[in-house]
Amino acid sequence: MTSDADVALRVRALESLLLEKGLVEAPAIDEIIDLFENRLGPQNGAKVIARAWTDPEFKARLLANATDAIVEMGYEAVQGEDMVVVENTPRIHNLVVCTLCSCFPWATLGLPPVWYKSAPYRARAASDPRGVLAEFGTAIADDAEVRVWDSNAELRYMVLPERPAGSEGMSEEDLLALVTRDSMIGVSHAVTP
Amino acid sequence: MKITREVVQGLYKQTGTARVDTDVAASFQVGDTIQARNINPTGHTRLPRYIRGKKGSIATDNGVFKFADSLAHGAGTQPQHLYSVRFTAQEIWGGEAPAQDSLYIDLWDDYLEPA
Repeated sequence: MTSDADVALRVRALESLLLEKGLVEAPAIDEIIDLFENRLGPQNGAKVIARAWTDPEFKARLLANATDAIVEMGYEAVQGEDMVVVENTPRIHNLVVCTLCSCFPWATLGLPPVWYKSAPYRARAASDPRGVLAEFGTAIADDAEVRVWDSNAELRYMVLPERPAGSEGMSEEDLLALVTRDSMIGVSHAVTP
Repeated sequence: MKITREVVQGLYKQTGTARVDTDVAASFQVGDTIQARNINPTGHTRLPRYIRGKKGSIATDNGVFKFADSLAHGAGTQPQHLYSVRFTAQEIWGGEAPAQDSLYIDLWDDYLEPA
């Protein structure tokens, strides 16, 4: 195993080499870090979901044309050109995978987590979704329908998780904390308050 | 080329969809039963092996998109309909899979034949 310290050292060595050879400017590196830490990420997706939970008209637009509804909220970025949002209900649980590689909606969820790109997740989310969900600690009723979405082509998928019981009185802003990245991939439910 | 802040800013902007605004006839309609072709191309394809030869039904017609396979092989965009196709878990994985479970995958016209 490589320790975090080893990785940090290697990254620093690569960074100084790229800078010394004049291949990259320091502000470009700052821009990349700011982009993926602050501007692209599941904090955007959470705002989309919290609004869908509290605004029925927005939810209808989101399910009918996710691309336009997400752009309407200002999240317009690469890997978000053609979006589909699928809704979890007590009867239907949706789970997203890219069996061929690592396709993921960057604008709303950021870069994919390491496990999402791993061969075991890519194989088993398709062949044994209930087993994968159980390993994530996600209970699904035996008689509910599990739908797996393989984002193998040009569309990018995001799950609209069920609004958890006990969140009825919460404001849109407070709901944000209940929407996790994993719940928008479909491997987890939203957090119960 | 030196990578500057401006270069990075250009990278995350929407690069343009693979969707094309071309009038191409769809070979299938929503509800049609199809079979994924059992093709084994050398090189890039978005038709995974686990779907080849399986029967499913057209759930949604997503519209016309550039064809990833022909693009990868330098054979042009070959725009065609891209469908969301539903396969039952039992069709793909056999009788032990839960009867109500399913998998949706996006497949271009060229991957499909009537079943």
